[in-house]
Amino acid sequence: MNPPPLNHRSLLSLSLITLLVVAPHFARLDPRISLAFFAVVLLRVTSLYRPHLRLGRWLLLGITLASAALILSLYPLLMGLPAKVALLSLMMGLKLMECRRRRDLYVVVFLGYFTLITHFLFDQGMLQVAYVVVMVIALSGLLIEAGRTESHSGWPLHSLRLAAGMTAQALPVMLVLFFLFPRLNGPLWNLGVDNSTGQTGLSDSITLGSISRLIRSRAVAFRVDFDQAMPAPPLRYWRGPVLWHTDGRRWGRADLPKTALVSYRSDAPPVSYQVTLEPSPNDWLYALDLPETLPAEASLLADFQITAKDIRQRRYRYSASSRLQYHTGSLSERQRRLGLQLPDTVTPRMRALVSRWRAESADDRQLVNRALQFFRNEPFHYTLNPPLLETNPVDQFLFDSRRGFCEHYATSFTLLMRLAGIPARVVTGYQGGERNPLGNYLIVRQSDAHAWSEVWLEQSGWTRIDPTAAVAPERIERTFEFDLQENTAPGSPVIFSAGDHDLLNRLAKQFGLGLDAANASWHRWILGYSSQQQQRLLQLLGFGSLSAFKLALTMVLAVAALVPLLILLMRWRDRDRPDPVQRDYGKFCRRLARKGIARLSHEGPQDFARRVIRQRPDLQRPVSAIIDLYIALRYGAEDDPKQQRRLRQLVRNFRA
Amino acid sequence: MRLKIPERFIRRCRSDGRGRATVGAQQIYIIPTRQGLGFALLLLLMWIGSINYANNLGFLLTFLLAGLGLVAMLHTWRNLLGLTLRPGRSAPVFKGQQACFEIQISNSRDNERPGVLLNFAAGDPVAGDLAPHSEQTFSLTTRAERRGRLPMPRCTLSTRYPLGLLYAWSYLELAGEVLVYPAPGPHTAITSQSSYQPSPHGDKGVGSDDFIGLRSYRPGDSPRQIDWKAQAREQGLHTKQFGGDRADLLWIDWGHYPGMETESRLSALCRAVLEATEQQQAFGLRLPNLELKPARGDAQRRAALAALALFGEQT
Repeated sequence: MNPPPLNHRSLLSLSLITLLVVAPHFARLDPRISLAFFAVVLLRVTSLYRPHLRLGRWLLLGITLASAALILSLYPLLMGLPAKVALLSLMMGLKLMECRRRRDLYVVVFLGYFTLITHFLFDQGMLQVAYVVVMVIALSGLLIEAGRTESHSGWPLHSLRLAAGMTAQALPVMLVLFFLFPRLNGPLWNLGVDNSTGQTGLSDSITLGSISRLIRSRAVAFRVDFDQAMPAPPLRYWRGPVLWHTDGRRWGRADLPKTALVSYRSDAPPVSYQVTLEPSPNDWLYALDLPETLPAEASLLADFQITAKDIRQRRYRYSASSRLQYHTGSLSERQRRLGLQLPDTVTPRMRALVSRWRAESADDRQLVNRALQFFRNEPFHYTLNPPLLETNPVDQFLFDSRRGFCEHYATSFTLLMRLAGIPARVVTGYQGGERNPLGNYLIVRQSDAHAWSEVWLEQSGWTRIDPTAAVAPERIERTFEFDLQENTAPGSPVIFSAGDHDLLNRLAKQFGLGLDAANASWHRWILGYSSQQQQRLLQLLGFGSLSAFKLALTMVLAVAALVPLLILLMRWRDRDRPDPVQRDYGKFCRRLARKGIARLSHEGPQDFARRVIRQRPDLQRPVSAIIDLYIALRYGAEDDPKQQRRLRQLVRNFRA
Repeated sequence: MRLKIPERFIRRCRSDGRGRATVGAQQIYIIPTRQGLGFALLLLLMWIGSINYANNLGFLLTFLLAGLGLVAMLHTWRNLLGLTLRPGRSAPVFKGQQACFEIQISNSRDNERPGVLLNFAAGDPVAGDLAPHSEQTFSLTTRAERRGRLPMPRCTLSTRYPLGLLYAWSYLELAGEVLVYPAPGPHTAITSQSSYQPSPHGDKGVGSDDFIGLRSYRPGDSPRQIDWKAQAREQGLHTKQFGGDRADLLWIDWGHYPGMETESRLSALCRAVLEATEQQQAFGLRLPNLELKPARGDAQRRAALAALALFGEQT
């Protein structure tokens, strides 16, 4: 049997929904592709009403070839995601062109489902998810409508409602599969995912001014959940790249070997936490000073910097632990050499300053304190807009401008220490972070980016010295917040927020924190869900660690357990019920029976009504109204739903 | 789509005492359609894509659609569950013609059940959308291959609704039947003339062939038999009277067709019955085991043909 061709209404809704399914891609595709797709859909819709515009086989072939040529000219070799999406979209549009029968409709709808998944390669926000779910319902509604023998005369709302109901019933199955389906680590094959999108973040070298540019961004760098109490703000130093080599202007990393073991002593208890890193182009992780345990795929360099493979451009979640007090022990010859490297830009007045300090102090420790005292007592200012330093930035900063940001203090301090013969290095990373009381986690933003210094002392090994704290202790102790507009004058000092100013601000902040908490859970449980998280979830549920096979078995059993529940739900809905008219009549009879006038089983409605009125003449009006309507609905031609509702109303208001 | 199941393992719904059959939960088969297999392939592709792009939302969508497929299975099953079928009227046919069975399907639920198909094993399906609390009549035809009682063949009630990804069906054996008359044979000349018997009432019977006179009009007389010419002559309203046709009775007799095989003989008798009815002739039927008194009209025709149809069968 040949199913009938699709009617206009089906084709029109199919065209409309196809357009909506592809719509979010319009901004991501070449405008010519979007335009071509739009034109194809428009042509399809017009040809519904102007049948002579319907394209012949040859013209269709021509358009197909033209589309292929367009895609190939815009994306040679079909490299990259946009090329694939363009191909998919135009394929769907062309299939829509020749869509006449139910069979074609399935192809278009399946292509639509597939197009929906490609949206997530570009946007993983909650709004996008909501949009995709609505589109899944719409596409499924099309299938449902096509499954009928005769289509509805109006808009197929009933089919959409059924599609929404079915999607809702599919949700528990989806969750079980999502959380229990055995996960593979890493891709099956390398697809060459485009990494063109640039994010801000620390880089592996600094020049003066690079961090102060970064600090204007309120973007989230990472979020941290602590397994125990959060450390105090002055202890929250998130260690990133360690910089050794300088040419006087730029500081860069050294090529240090990876170490297998963590080589420091500590009596402090470990602090363990989970970090969810936002996508960044970098290959290092952040940990509190100093890291102890690391995720399996990460490795530790000899200067306690953590690097990891395959974490670029994706949201990455890892657990780590640190000890906040430590002694790093002896210094290797290589590190001593690197830690004393000097650029050619050292000036005589820098040497004079350091030799004066050396003469005034008994040991290295005292010399470090003397240097910090210098930063504290001399008129140094902490500013986001330092004046431009040209030829010899360190010298100019130390003796002339004296206005700078953390990287100015850290780099010049480190250089001075090296001049004094104390091995020193610059550490970049983040300092502080804001606690979100709603999710009880720490939000570390790009604006928390920081640079500090480490010196090697005989008594304590590598020791963190933060010269910024000497100049602006509030930077370390308080949340760093400032208004960008207020701080535009060059050299003006930063004003630290002392608290929340007014109610509106506080509310806005609360709302922002709430949104971030929702976002964080979204990232943690949905976007960042991986095989590690899966194992953790299973442990939480008391399953311990399961092999992939056992996991699959658990999943199948869980889904199998859902099926009887769904069946119960359906059978409860479909339980044998008399039709509504009969139901209302039954209710009416029960009400009378309670008053002692029970309908006899052989008694028809008219006889019953006559008997009721004989016994209770006062009820004549309502009883005859109900009985007349009942007879009209039950035995007559009346089947107006409005009349059915009226019967229900009458019975509800009936008081015997 | 057709799956061959060994006959003894087939689960089927049979008519109960009142002739009704209800589709039970255990009697519904379900398999994916071609579109369903396509859908599974689509899910596989989406799953592989999600792994490759390490995209958790991709997984989520893939699993949502998988869940949708699973839910669709239950909904397809539910679309048949609890439908009640009952054989309706069925008119007798001649052998070789299409026998038409009426089947009434009733949906006692609050929900509509769209896209329900009914068909015989070898025949096109009839489709319909069953409104809530309603009854709909489906007519299925099958070729009547054999004379006698034709029991309703096993029919298949099926649906792909809602998503068309799955095909659910149920076998029903309903207690309906159609009477199949013998196929009318070619006209056979009868050798013996003794098939006509003089009418015991002579010419006075009422018939339509020979004009025997006029009588005054009585209400109820056919306008065709009114003597309009007399009316035009203003002689009053008179009705023409006709005498008994040929004044003879026709006996259609088994013994008139010697040397023929039973079925051809029945076909010849069938033809004779049809011709006699066509000529509005009173006739009697004589079979080896049965004799029908002479009469005319539709009832006689039906009785005669039924006797021929059931010849040789236990009644």
